Amino acid sequence: MTPLSVVRSVPGMTTETVVRLDGVRKEFGETAALDGVSLEIRRGEAVAVMGPSGCGKSTLLNMVAGLDRPTAGEVTVHGERLDLMNETGLALFRRHHLGMIFQFFNLLDDLSALDNVALAAQLTGSSAATARRRALELFDELGIAGRRDVYPAALSGGERQRVAVARALMNRPALLLADEPTGALDSRAGEQVMDLLIDLNQIGQTLLIVTHDERLAHRCASRLVELADGRIARESALDRV
Amino acid sequence: MSAVWAAAKAAIRRRRLQTFVIGLVALFCTATVVVSLALLDAMSAPFDRALAQQRGAHAVAAFDPAKVTDAQLTAARDGVEAAAGPFGQVMFEVGGGSGPVMRGPLTLVGRPGPGGDVDRLDLWRGRWASAPGEVVLNAPPEDETSFARGPFSRIPSLTADGTTLTVVGWAFSVGGSADGWVTPEQMTELRPTGTQMLYRFAGDVSTREAVQQRLTGVTTGLPGGALIAAQPYQVVKEEAAEGSGVYLPFLGTFGVLGLIIAVIIVGNVVSGAVISGFRHIGMLKALGFTPRQVVAVYLTMVTVPATAGAILGTVLGDLGARPLLEDTFRGMGFGQDTGVPAWVWAAGLVGIPALVLLTALVPASRAHRLSAAEAISAGSAPRRGHGLRVQRALGGTRLPRSVSLGLGHLFARPARTALTMASLLLGVTTVTFATGLSDTLIRFSALDAAAGGDVSIRPEPPDGPTGVTSSRTDDEVEALLRGLPGTERIGVALGRPVSALGQSEPIQVNFVRGDVAAMGYEDQLLEGRWMAAPDEMVATSELLNKRGLEVGDTITMELQGVRTTVTVVGETLQNLPGPGDGLFAPWREFEDAEPFDYFYQVDLTEGTDREAYMQAIRSADPGLSPWSRGGSNELQVIVTGFSSVLAVLLATVAALGVLNTVALNVLDRRRDLGMLKSIGMTPRQVITMLVTSMAALGVAGGLLGIPFGMVAHRLVVPLSAGAAKVTLPESVLRVWDPLQLALLVLSGVLIAVVGALLPARSAARLTIARVLHNE
Repeated sequence: MTPLSVVRSVPGMTTETVVRLDGVRKEFGETAALDGVSLEIRRGEAVAVMGPSGCGKSTLLNMVAGLDRPTAGEVTVHGERLDLMNETGLALFRRHHLGMIFQFFNLLDDLSALDNVALAAQLTGSSAATARRRALELFDELGIAGRRDVYPAALSGGERQRVAVARALMNRPALLLADEPTGALDSRAGEQVMDLLIDLNQIGQTLLIVTHDERLAHRCASRLVELADGRIARESALDRV
Repeated sequence: MSAVWAAAKAAIRRRRLQTFVIGLVALFCTATVVVSLALLDAMSAPFDRALAQQRGAHAVAAFDPAKVTDAQLTAARDGVEAAAGPFGQVMFEVGGGSGPVMRGPLTLVGRPGPGGDVDRLDLWRGRWASAPGEVVLNAPPEDETSFARGPFSRIPSLTADGTTLTVVGWAFSVGGSADGWVTPEQMTELRPTGTQMLYRFAGDVSTREAVQQRLTGVTTGLPGGALIAAQPYQVVKEEAAEGSGVYLPFLGTFGVLGLIIAVIIVGNVVSGAVISGFRHIGMLKALGFTPRQVVAVYLTMVTVPATAGAILGTVLGDLGARPLLEDTFRGMGFGQDTGVPAWVWAAGLVGIPALVLLTALVPASRAHRLSAAEAISAGSAPRRGHGLRVQRALGGTRLPRSVSLGLGHLFARPARTALTMASLLLGVTTVTFATGLSDTLIRFSALDAAAGGDVSIRPEPPDGPTGVTSSRTDDEVEALLRGLPGTERIGVALGRPVSALGQSEPIQVNFVRGDVAAMGYEDQLLEGRWMAAPDEMVATSELLNKRGLEVGDTITMELQGVRTTVTVVGETLQNLPGPGDGLFAPWREFEDAEPFDYFYQVDLTEGTDREAYMQAIRSADPGLSPWSRGGSNELQVIVTGFSSVLAVLLATVAALGVLNTVALNVLDRRRDLGMLKSIGMTPRQVITMLVTSMAALGVAGGLLGIPFGMVAHRLVVPLSAGAAKVTLPESVLRVWDPLQLALLVLSGVLIAVVGALLPARSAARLTIARVLHNE
């Protein structure tokens, strides 16, 4: 059994497109945060998006996650046109096909680590027992089994991010989105999260990482997309360090 | 100070929803408080207020014109603040009149107009007497319908000793200064036997003795024996209290409930606003704001919308209270309303903002003490304790996760939950009490209406207004009525004063036959049974209380020259209309009874047109005078209306409390909500989660509020009836049934859900991207 085998067992990178952005434009008032962005991400790929503050990185991530809608253009993820879906459709899509991790973890303070993770499956209608069973498997794989009954306030930053990753993986998503996943962590915890993302990608998990951290991009991603003023300034393949 | 104002303005702009909620809660609470206080004020002394409004006389005095001149009376002003008179006065012996009212001797006064310094009459119908042969009669105001249906409209004129006076108007004297008024010229023609003076005294007039003392001061310099009689206003006040007293505690309870719920909800909203701003408070401190400035920012932030709400609420409360007070006063028979007094306006304008300020001071003083870092962490610190254990237990249940998460929210902030719960509980208590009160009044009204028939008939006396008398005997009248289409039941009564051993005054006994028992009087039995033998009688509770009698007691009477001992076998609620002490006795023939001494009551079959039936009686025998009983008791309708308005107002305020709680929860949990939506919680699930928590509180509030409301109903209703010396039958108190109770629980849920829905929908539409990246 390979590491993280319970996460998912999919083939490595294929030619199947998981994400396609086609001429995506997003305006906030008079300002265009994204200006005609077109991008494709294939299954099993790990793509890092970088750029200076305000270049549109987070807006791009929001488009792909269905957290926001484009002003113009098409957003297709896992074969579904997100720009045409209503709020409920988007929620159901995220629930089944996307996993997200955030810079500040966004765990619920009043749920234990295990319940935070199980929650993602319970929203899909899984019973509490089934959801907890699945969450325990992930806790084992991510090396935080001993912290399952601890509340977020008592976890270290690295542990919180691992719990967040476990929650993101709970419903076996087609795409894992990471928004500055190491931004709030010390270097050691950051390294652990990077290792985890690499392991996930190696077993076939498609990744889209938005970051300021070049080291994270170069360690985890196979392709780098650089944004400037809402446009793709440069795309380059990366050799993982 | 400019920095404080700038920061407060910014906080108001940033928290638009919360500012709006505070303003709205202040508006509704102020409106509730203004209505409640106006009500409490009005009911605290309705007679006194009405008397003051009319500048009613503290004493109505009658002097002997043979012993004192008008000039002497006008000059005697020792201790008098204001006086009216001298007016000529005469006893006008109306022989039979029409119906049970306006019979016997009436006090007529010659008066040039309804105004003046004392006893400013409410001329509520028609006009003032302006020529000889005209009279204005004294009666509490009635609306058009009641007047048209009631007995007053059947009195076009009064006749006595060959003089006929045409009724040209109806006026009301709260102090009961006369039964009617004519022009001074007409009074001269009637040859007055007395001279009336109306006095308002300076100084203490709170007791009969005090009024008597003032009166003695006025009359000291007058010739001996000049004063024939004097009536202090307390006599009329006591009579009025018996009529209206039954409703005062009902209204008072609503006033008190209104005040309590307003205080609790204002406390909930304001403390929530300050606590949710702790993080902001920490930031202000970090910027260099002194603790005092921070407190000032927060007090300003909540006081501005509260003051705006209070101003609008006072105006709204005044507008809402005016027609209610007017109706209440009229319904109580006091004629004019006194409006919303100035102190109630002041309480609305100052009280609620002051309350808001005081409530905000408690959490603000905590913010004052906290360091910047502590304040920031207090605004975002994770919760500990029972809430976590409950949340874990709920997570393991089979409930949908959005439901179990919503239920868990209740335990995350127990103080906020408790305050919300309290407002819901009071909301349900109010609705329960209002429902019970309405039901009791409806049942009481039904009992009241059931007794007495739909149409009353009395033969015209020879000196009656039409001058036409009936040639039919008592039995023939009954036979005529029984033969008319639409007659279902007939009761016949004959009232006679009867001397009783041990009683200083004769007792007015109603000798009844026909269907009287079946016409609702038997249903009104509070104790014992209906009479079944010639030596048995049934008495009203009022008579029993007044005469110190009980069911089972015997009374020895002189009946047609024979000393007869009768037993009181039952206590009933209501007497027959008209004069009488409320003693029912089996029928007896009295040879000296005049035709117009008989009184008939008819129950009509359902669907019979009363007007057409009465017309049929008049056509069949113009000597019979029929009138229809008024509809439902006006005062009961008013109390039911009042209780409904206040219940709706309080339920709205309770729903606003819930709205505020959910709005605060959404504000607190914006990040959590964003995260939940990011992992696939649908908008419907977000709404379910937020509404579930409040609906659960609504159920709990319903389950607890109902017993409170029921207990309040059980305590207040008999108490209020007792104030009017009325014993209520148990049947009017047993108003609850399981379906109704279930609906009341539902009312709690409804208040909670309505309050929660708006912020829950706005939470469902929350932009996740903005929330999650806004750290």
